[in-house]
Formats: sequence, structure tokens, C-alpha cells
Amino acid sequence: MLNSSAEHIILGQTLLLLPQKAIYWKEQKTLIIADLHFGKAAHFRKAGIAIPNGNINSDINLLTKLVKNHQPECLIFLGDLFHSDFNNEWNLFADWRIEHENLKIILVKGNHDIIPDKFYTSINIQIIHEELIISPFEFTHHPLTKAEDILNNKYYRISGHVHPGVRLSGKGRQTTKLPCYFFGEKQAILPAFGSFTGNFMIKPKETDQVFCIVKEQIMVM
Amino acid sequence: MEKGIQIINAWYKHKKWKPFEFQLDVRNAYLAGNNGLLNAPTGSGKTYALFLPVLLEYMAANPDFGKPQKNGLQLIWITPLRALTQDIKKAMETACAEMGIAWKIAVRSGDTSTKERNDQKKQMPEVLLTTPESIQIMLAQKDYALLFGSLKCIVIDEWHELLGTKRAVQLELSLSRIRAIFPEFKTWAISATIGNLEEAAEVLLGSIVSEGNYKLIKANIKKKTIIRSIIPEEIEKFSWAGHLGIKLLPQVMPIIEKSGTTLLFTNTRSQTEIWYQAILANYPEYAGIMAMHHGSIDGELRTWVENALHEGILKVVVCTSSLDLGVDFRPVDTVIQIGSPKGISRFMQRAGRSGHHPGATSVIYFVPTHTLELTEGAALKQAMTDEIYESRDPIVLAMDVLTQYLVTLAVSDGFYPKQIFEEIKKTHAYADLEKAEFESLLSFITVGGDTLSQYDEYLKVDIEPNGLYKVNSRKIAMRHRMSIGTIVSELSMSVQFVSGGRIGTIEESFIAKLKPGNVFWFAGRSLEFLNAKGMVAYVRKSSKKTGIIPSWAGGRMPLSSQLSKVLRDKINEVAIGIYKDEELIALKPLMDLQENLSKLPCSDELLIEIFISKEGTHIFVYPFEGRLVHEGMASLLSYRLTQTKPMSFSLAMNDYGFEILTDSEVPKEFITKELFSTENLLNDILHSLNANELARRKFRDIANIAGLVFTGFPGKNISNKHLQASTSLLFDVFEEYEPNNLLVKQAYNEALTVQLEEFRMREALLRIAGQKLIIKEIKRPTPFAFPIMVDSLNREKLSTESLEERIKKMQIRYEKA
Repeated sequence: MLNSSAEHIILGQTLLLLPQKAIYWKEQKTLIIADLHFGKAAHFRKAGIAIPNGNINSDINLLTKLVKNHQPECLIFLGDLFHSDFNNEWNLFADWRIEHENLKIILVKGNHDIIPDKFYTSINIQIIHEELIISPFEFTHHPLTKAEDILNNKYYRISGHVHPGVRLSGKGRQTTKLPCYFFGEKQAILPAFGSFTGNFMIKPKETDQVFCIVKEQIMVM
Repeated sequence: MEKGIQIINAWYKHKKWKPFEFQLDVRNAYLAGNNGLLNAPTGSGKTYALFLPVLLEYMAANPDFGKPQKNGLQLIWITPLRALTQDIKKAMETACAEMGIAWKIAVRSGDTSTKERNDQKKQMPEVLLTTPESIQIMLAQKDYALLFGSLKCIVIDEWHELLGTKRAVQLELSLSRIRAIFPEFKTWAISATIGNLEEAAEVLLGSIVSEGNYKLIKANIKKKTIIRSIIPEEIEKFSWAGHLGIKLLPQVMPIIEKSGTTLLFTNTRSQTEIWYQAILANYPEYAGIMAMHHGSIDGELRTWVENALHEGILKVVVCTSSLDLGVDFRPVDTVIQIGSPKGISRFMQRAGRSGHHPGATSVIYFVPTHTLELTEGAALKQAMTDEIYESRDPIVLAMDVLTQYLVTLAVSDGFYPKQIFEEIKKTHAYADLEKAEFESLLSFITVGGDTLSQYDEYLKVDIEPNGLYKVNSRKIAMRHRMSIGTIVSELSMSVQFVSGGRIGTIEESFIAKLKPGNVFWFAGRSLEFLNAKGMVAYVRKSSKKTGIIPSWAGGRMPLSSQLSKVLRDKINEVAIGIYKDEELIALKPLMDLQENLSKLPCSDELLIEIFISKEGTHIFVYPFEGRLVHEGMASLLSYRLTQTKPMSFSLAMNDYGFEILTDSEVPKEFITKELFSTENLLNDILHSLNANELARRKFRDIANIAGLVFTGFPGKNISNKHLQASTSLLFDVFEEYEPNNLLVKQAYNEALTVQLEEFRMREALLRIAGQKLIIKEIKRPTPFAFPIMVDSLNREKLSTESLEERIKKMQIRYEKA
């Protein structure tokens, strides 16, 4: 079933899963985005690897559009917001931030977020180093991986890092790969927002729920 | 000159040799100042054919040749394999010592230490034995011109092996540079017999050929070869690839038993492991007198095997193409080929690895891996009788190799584009390069493409005020030097014993699937996987007899067009009832069944079979044109079928035919001659979804060669993690934001020419245009269809339905844990 978005109710909270790879949390008026990887193309180019740098504008335009359409009060980045060392694309992001100065922005730091915190604080972005807890959820960059941790975790975790995707197969031995949202019993993982990111194929269990992104639509499975 | 000739003649006499006519021809041509190509097989004295004239020239110019002098580099001898250099070095050193010529012969390769390199720079040896990559690495050094100043000749050994690869293109570029600085030196190459020797010379020499200053010399040494097929005692009528092979072990072992030393060639590394293991399990007495040799096994181990082969202490070596090349192993008197050799030249080359004594006969046994493959045994014999050889098609306009080359020159002394453009236009590979393309590459390496923004910090090649293109960043220079080369390997991990000792390398994707405690077979040993740290997989010996066998990536080669042609002739023979080869006589029951269930196609017929199963409609087509052409034809056909109504297909193919499977109904009337028309061919191919997928795959190597992928400095993996992106992702980004990029275009070109063999497909379609379509609706799969159905490894997908439509139809299943 393909829809322009999917409403997923979990622990009494309404999460709107968008095909733009962002979640809008209705009750909290909060937009959640993982793995944007700003500055990645620039990082490569600075090292002499000629990646086209057109994607930066499309990513930033998409971000603008999402904020305009949903009018969130808060925006949470689940890590890997800015890819690696400082480069000039930071300025592009900083400009965007200034244009949206009334928006509260929180970054839960990821493994690629290695530029110093003061860059973020200088443009009024709040930094979280471990986990951000807004009951009933906790927001982190990394998902839980050990079975016992998953079992014992107090909150329902929402994270990124993995860039999840699934392989679909059908009659006639066809297959295709799609980015997806993953919802397990104790945690959820968002697809990567950035257009210069790949997918890692996950294999969900029977009890897991997966929402695939088919271009501009969400497929509820 | 006289004195030199006397010395050489005396040396021949001392060796009790008589110079071959071709050796004298080469000498005359060389001394007359010609460039050239020598067509001679291994073991025929080809090394001396070129080495002695160079010595002769030196002796004539230096009467004091017995004393060491600061001569500088005289001769560069290039081989495709490092493994070959040691023996050539020995042969050259012996000749110099025996003739009293004080020359130093040195090897230079990736393994040469920095100290040795520096010593060589201070005083170059007279002869440098090296690889195409090392020449380009030399061009990446400052003041490289000093290295080549005294050069008299460059010889490229085993040129046929390089021709048709990007390594040859790389060499063409290097030669164009050295020629431009020192137009005096001579270029020679040595090639085994191939179908396009003249073209091989053109690739080697570029515009020199049209200027006429070259000679093509053929050795004309004929060697007697006997081909024997292993005919299974029972002919199974439904048989698939890999079904037979190892089953024939009881028939193969007596051959090994009665031979001196046998080389048993398989087509893939995993087959090598399987055969090795099977022999060991069933004939334990072979432990200690059997070895294995393939490209993933550690170099030291391989060298040990090679030495043991020389010494004759091994009874059998199970190997892959890694032993196709190289010096002769005298004790080898028998060669066994498992499965289709895919080409006549390769088969004959392998046959030639046996019987090296003068007048000896080469003996090769052909072991089919499925019943129908036995037909190839008959075809190979026919091809040998008719003296048919394959051509090696050279690569042209490879933008990735050119990008790498330009950066190489920028890293060393810098370059002026105008001058380099003129030089490369003289090569065969870039004779048709357009100025605009060249300029686009220049902007790619200086500003990183067409798109420029105010934020951009692209850093690679700078343009100095005087117009010199130069790399000034030390980091970028270092990174480039490390990644010179055109062979892109899978990301592989070193396999080591936890107690120490390297065994070889296995692709990371295989290791990633292992869990600690899993047992797998590698290098003929049963190993237990313990853990992986960094790029090393630690293992220990296991006593378990069963384990998984790693499969290595690497394209499956298609049947060559020459062998395909002979194969079609053989099928035609049986279709009209001629059974003269023992292989075909043995296959008669299978052929009869094919005729009963469907038909045996004559040469003026194209057989098509339609079969309905619960999976959908299967359409089988048998052009007998090799896997790649079938892949292209299958996509083409599917695409054209969808012009009547949208549907999805999945495709499968082998060297004899292909299958398209769809869950929609395809009425018989849909299958028409128009589907095979060459009209709009290119357009239709590009519109089939496959073109994008194939181009994406090709882009992997291209991105690596052009420097878009940085694999990291040895032992410094972590810090480069942020610079890693899959080439598939890069391809997506380029396609979306820079679709006109030359590297992306090249990916499509390679997909067409290399992957789909567009030229060959066009010829096949033209042939089909003159054939009758025979469409048979079959109740069950025929002996021809069966191997294709089973062999679904290479299944491709093609659809003209939108992604959304496809997914709706795909019963929505995703792969679960």
C-alpha cells in the first residue's frame, strides 16, 4: 500500500513517517532527521576526489520545505549532521540556520560529527553527547545492538547511523532495494536523510515493522 | 659489429644451440633500427631473440663492454606478471656472464624496497625488468626524464596478455611520453598467436606503424597438440553446469596417475578448492604430492609451488589462470582442463604448458562440467585443426586511465596540456580523442567538474601562472602515487593463522558472512574462523572435513565468438544427422531427446522454446553466442516485448542460450523476427533498465582508476573512513548532478562494448535476420533448456513497469532474518 505519508502510533504517540526521510512527531510538534551528512561532498572534494557538489542544495531545499510544510517547534538531528572536518559547506548550513532562527534545534552527536561543539553552539544548536530523553522515547545516534541491552533498555529508542534499507523480492525472481524506516519492539531506526548516503540492507524479524520509501511515497508493509 | 656477432655465435655453439630463423630476423630488423612485434610461443627462445640484439648493439658501440660502466638504463623489459621476472633475470644474467658483458640486471616492482629504488636512481642498472604499473610510477617521480635518457629499447613480453586491458592503455600512454622525450629508442613486443597481430602492433606503436618503421616477425614454430575429451560413462540427459565435473574424478585420476606431472586447470578459484579437496578426500595418498595455485593464495606459497613444479616433486597442481603464463615447468607432461575454456587460444595456451622437450607433444584433456558441454570438446578439436585463434580487442578512449595519467604527470614535473594532447593523439587508444573531451578532463582534475560554487574547495591539480599543470599538495601527490594502476581488486582481507603465517587473501564480503567457529576451505586447508581485526581474518587449522568454500567475485567469461562459431557448426552437424566426433556420438541420446521434445536447430534456424510453469512463462532462445551477448539480447528482447504491454521479466543465460521469465502471459504471436531487428538497437539497449545497472557495475573500476575512490594508506585505515563511499553511491550522485561527466559516459560505453559486446550482438542479430524462427511450445524443459533454468546465478531483471507498479505486484515480501 503506497501513501504520501504513514501515521505510526507507538506508545500513544503519533509519528508521521514522511517519504522525505524525516519523522514528524505530532504531539511534540517535532521534526526528527537522521544522517544528513552535510559537507560530505565538499569533504571529498577537498581531498581531491571530484564528487559533484549539486546535492548540497537539493538537501538544504528539502529541509526548508519540510520545515515550511510542518511548522515544527523543534528539530532533532540524530547524528551525522555534518560530515567530518570543517569545510566551507558549513557556512551554507549556518546561513540556513540563521534563516530559521526561531526553530529550536538539537543535535545528538554521531560518529561523523567531529567538528568542535562551539561551531554548533555559536549558531544556537543544542548539543547532546549521549542520549536525549523525551518520554516515552530516547533519541541517540547509534541503535542498540546487544540483545540484553535491547531487553533492558528503559525507553523506546529512536536512532539513525545504520542507513537502513531492505531488499524486496517477488514472483519471477525479481528483487529491488529500498531505503526504509525500521520499527522493532524496543527501538526504531530512521533512514538516512542526506542524498549522498548509501543504504545498508537489514533483515527484519517477523515481529518488526518496516516502512519502505518508494520515491515520494511510503509503503506500509 | 663483427666482434659482437662472433661472440654471440660462439656462445650459441657453447650452448649447443642453433639460432632459429626468426631470431636472426629479429636481430636484423632491430639493428636496422626498426620497431616491431615478434609472434612466438613461450619456450621458443623469444627472450634471447630480443635480448641478444640489444647486447650486440651495445658491444658494437662499446668495445670496452667487459668493464662495468656508468651506462645508465639500456633496456626496459616489461612483463605482465612479476612472477615471470626472476627467471628472465636469471637467463639474462647467465648470457651476460658467459659472454663477458658487465651488465647489471635488476627487477623493479611494487615489492622493490625504497633503498633499492634510491640506489637505482643514483645508478640505474643496464636492464630493468618491470611491470606496466612500475613504468607509470617512474613517471610520477620528479626528474623522471633522467631515468630514461640512455634507453635503447623497451620490450613488452606477453603483449597478447596485456592487449585488451587497461594496463595496455596505461602502457601506451607511458610509451607516448618516453617517445616524446627520446624519440630514438625502439619499442618491441612479443606476443603469442592471436587473431589480430597487425592491430596488436598498432596498439604498441601508435602512429609509428603508419610511418612504416616497424616489422612483424612470425616464429612459425608448430607444436603438436593432442586433445582428448573425458566422456562420462553414463550420459545424463538433464545436466547443469557443475553437475558433472567432480563426478568424473574416477575417470580423471587414472590420467594423473600415469602421467609425470599434471596441471589441472579450473576456471574459478572456488573450483580449484573443490577439486583439491575432492582429490584429497578420495585419494589420500596424494597428500604431499599435490598442490594448489591460484591468485588469492599468498605469494610465498605460490613461489614454493612453482619451485616444486620445477623440481618435479609434485604429481599434480590444481590451478586457475594464475598458471596460464610464465616460465615452463619441464616436468609437466599432462594438462587437464575442467569445464569450458571459453576460448580456443586459452585452451591451446594451457595445452602448451605440457611437453616442453624438443619434439614433444602437448597433451590436454577436456573434462566437461555438464553433459552438453561435451560438444565443446568436439568444437575445440575442430578449431585446432582449422587453426582458429581469437582476437584481443584493444580498449580505446578510456577516460579513467587518461585521468590517472594526467595526474601522474602533474605529480612529478607537471605538464603543458597542448604538448601532452599532441603526444596522446599519436597513441592507438586516444587517436580519436576530441579536444573538448580532453579539456573536460583537464577541468575535472583542476576544478573537479563543471559545477563551481563559491564554497568550493576542490583541491587536486593546480595551474601555475606559466600554464604548467602541477600537483602542489604533498598529501595528494602521495595518495596518487599509492593508487597508480588499473587493476581494481575486491576489498580483500588477509587470512592468517592466529599462531602466525599468512595463507592468502579472501574477499571481505565472504569473511563478513562468517561467524566465529565456522569452518571453511581455503588454499586446500580446512580452517576455523576465529575473529577479524582490521583487515586481517584470524584462523586456526580445523580437523573438520566439511566446510564452506569461499567464492571469489570476478566476471564469468563468455564463450569467445570464434569458439561459438565452431560450436554452432557442430550443432548444425548433429541437426542434419552427421555424428563424426566421439563427443557427439556419445551425446546422441541427449541430442535425440532434444529433437523429440523440441528440435535441434540447423545453421539457418533459431530455436525458441516456450514453457509454462507455476512461476510464469519461460521463453528460451538459443543463439549459441556466449553469455554476454545473450545477456544483452535477453534484455533487448524483453524490452521490445514490453512495447506491446508493460510487464516485468527476469533473465537467465549461459553460453548457449538465454531464458526470459515473466509472470505475464506471452502469446506465441508476440515472438516475431522484429524482436531481433538491429533497427534502433542502441536506443533500445540504453532504454532497457539493464544499461544503468551494467554501467553502475562498470563504474566501480572506472571510479577507482580515475582516483574517485581512496582505499587508504596501508595500516592507516581508520582516518580515511570519512573519505569512503561506495562506487554505486558515487554513480548515483554523478548521474543525478553531472550526467555528462566523461567517466559516467565511459561507464555506459564499457557496459555496451565490454559487458554487452554490442558489436558482437549486432553481428549475431544480423545473422539471425537470415534465419528461420522455430518456435516450440514445450511440455517440460529440454536438455538445452535445463542448464539455463538451473543456472540462475546471473539472473538479471528488467522491467518497464514503474517502480511503484512492480512493487505492488511483487507480493510484497522482504528478506527476513
